[in-house]
Amino acid sequence: MDRLQQITLEECDAAYGQWLSYGGQAPRYGGRLSRHVKDGNKGIERLKFDNSAVAMNLWNFLLTEEERLREARSAGKKLIGTMKDLGTLPVMVYAHPGLVAFYPDGAWWIPCLMDENDRLLEVADQLGVDGTFCPVRAMLAAFVTGDHFPAPDMLICSVGATCDDFSAIAQRVEGLGNPILWWELPHRRALGHDETGIELPGGACAAKDQIDFVKDEMTRIIRVMADTVGASVTDDMIVHGISEANKVRACLAELRLTIFTADIAPLPALELLVAEMMAIHFCSDRDEVLVVLSGLLELVQQRVAAGVGYLGPDSVRVFWINPVADLRVMNMLEECGGRICGTEYLFTHALDQIPTHIPPREALARMALADPMAGAAQDRARRICADIKRFGSEAVIISRIPGASHCALEGVVIKETIRSIFDIPVVEIEVPPVSDTFQASLRTRLSALIEIAKGQRKRK
Amino acid sequence: MFYAGVDAGSRTIKVVLIHDADRRVVASGLCAQGVRQAVLAEELFQSVLREARLQRNDIARVVATGYGRNALDWADTTVTEITCQAYGVRHQVPHVRMVIDIGGEDSKVIRLDQQGIVHDFAMNDRCAAGTGRFLEIVADRLEMKLQDLGQITRMAEHPAVISSMCVVFAETEIVGLLASEASPANIVAGVQNSIAKRILSMVGGKIEGPVVFAGGVALIPGMSLALEKELKCPVEIARDPQMTAAFGAALIAAGQKSKVNAGLDHCLLGVGK
Repeated sequence: MDRLQQITLEECDAAYGQWLSYGGQAPRYGGRLSRHVKDGNKGIERLKFDNSAVAMNLWNFLLTEEERLREARSAGKKLIGTMKDLGTLPVMVYAHPGLVAFYPDGAWWIPCLMDENDRLLEVADQLGVDGTFCPVRAMLAAFVTGDHFPAPDMLICSVGATCDDFSAIAQRVEGLGNPILWWELPHRRALGHDETGIELPGGACAAKDQIDFVKDEMTRIIRVMADTVGASVTDDMIVHGISEANKVRACLAELRLTIFTADIAPLPALELLVAEMMAIHFCSDRDEVLVVLSGLLELVQQRVAAGVGYLGPDSVRVFWINPVADLRVMNMLEECGGRICGTEYLFTHALDQIPTHIPPREALARMALADPMAGAAQDRARRICADIKRFGSEAVIISRIPGASHCALEGVVIKETIRSIFDIPVVEIEVPPVSDTFQASLRTRLSALIEIAKGQRKRK
Repeated sequence: MFYAGVDAGSRTIKVVLIHDADRRVVASGLCAQGVRQAVLAEELFQSVLREARLQRNDIARVVATGYGRNALDWADTTVTEITCQAYGVRHQVPHVRMVIDIGGEDSKVIRLDQQGIVHDFAMNDRCAAGTGRFLEIVADRLEMKLQDLGQITRMAEHPAVISSMCVVFAETEIVGLLASEASPANIVAGVQNSIAKRILSMVGGKIEGPVVFAGGVALIPGMSLALEKELKCPVEIARDPQMTAAFGAALIAAGQKSKVNAGLDHCLLGVGK
């Protein structure tokens, strides 16, 4: 059995050179990963990467998003910043060939990727959005410095059943001269005794009038978008957009299933997190993201077929809840003897298929209401538990995002729900954007979780 | 054959040597932690070997634990202090179901199942308010030695209420209490109650005993009583509570060796190296 080893940035560069010499064909955004360090992404020097050319494509694709956005603008396309909404509006935006959606919230990884050398968090502090807010506050600073993404032609942000602190950050963005089209995503309430529920993708249920409300919001967004950037999105366009988005989602679903059910981990947790994040906004290129993810899926399938992977079959199968702002913590999972086996990064609805048997705006409305953050924490916990059972996870990490209002209480509910059903250890950790001073403590928690899960295997 | 456990904690380093025949402690030692963690730990280890009249070759296996465990590259393996603490305490109190470990800069609640296997754990968050560091700060403020701190709590009539959840703000609160002429006894008792409340929040719901208190803070008089009051159950102080994690590490070292030699399957395999 061959064991793969994650490699350093330097080793990545060497492997890349070798791959090219063997005739490897790099995509137009390809190249040695170290070039991104020269662009300021110093933080990647401290990461360890999957040892493959397709993983390098994934990283290159992630780290060249700004270039893509500028190219799109040069080509006459309009840039729409879709904030807070995790995966619904980009489907609608990309439905129009003249529009590109991007996700300004993605700036939350900049302090980690750039090793905080552009001091975005300090800028946010000075703007009154300090460390008591979610690390997405880096987005606010990115709007001010203008260094990380081109100024969007239009900003759209959801409010209501999303993070309270995010709304405050977005309001500050607007106050600094960036007009925002606000739309409401209501909290998914329980059904009244006189109501019939409609099942949403992922299994939750919503009242028809809530779906109608969100559908009307979609209609309003389409209207304002036409007025603001001159692009009219028709239902036919959305039908096509849904079809294309579903291809990406299907690929990601297959990727996750293959990884979670493999005997030996075929891909590290870090690369899977990056891949999953692309479901939200396609990393600003809906067609190319499918190429990147398909390549990753093919690699993973080949590794599974060949019995090749990271660690051994005895590594502990870990379910990870919530994304982390400091990517190094994902590397820590394998370093401590764990492998990824189930994830819930707050946007599982963006991994589900969008219904195609109903009118497209209603399909998107159902999708939006399926957002785990739009419903009760118990609904989220239920889905997590179903996946823990499905994938045979042996331990759970709940990663709190400091300052994020949804994380403050949900962790306890999810933890207690898991404990009431499964006899597996659960640990809560908190990961700030730059976690240097907490690395030892985080490592202890993760190592202890792995030790406990191994100890419990003996009992079972 | 002998085995060693080294607990490189945040405030002190502890070394325990045991004999494999009966898991008896043959020697132990403790020193303050410092910048040169690996060197300090090795010096202490050598000193304990000398005390026991042993050579390095007499030690079959060394397990390192604690905050600085990964710095000790001369150890054979590393295991977290959570597992080691549980092993050490379980050896003393076989039916223990919960270990409360309050150390210099962190605190932990470790739950064991009926078979003595670690089932779950909780650790304090980033703040030092539920740890020994809080007591150190109070001792400094009151110009007292840490070891004398607990004695005066017996004189407390109306323990102060420390409401701040952050040690920095709590210190300010203590300054305010001193200014309002609250007695040191009442302040210390208030701080101990505050730490106990933090532990209670980590314990969460149902408490199953026996509950055993380990870690350096268990040596401070009054702390176990404060815990009993908050947890509403008896809290037993571990024997030599500052050394139990190092002792557990030594037990794991012996168990790992047993497993290698005799194929026994009663001990966790180290995952650190």
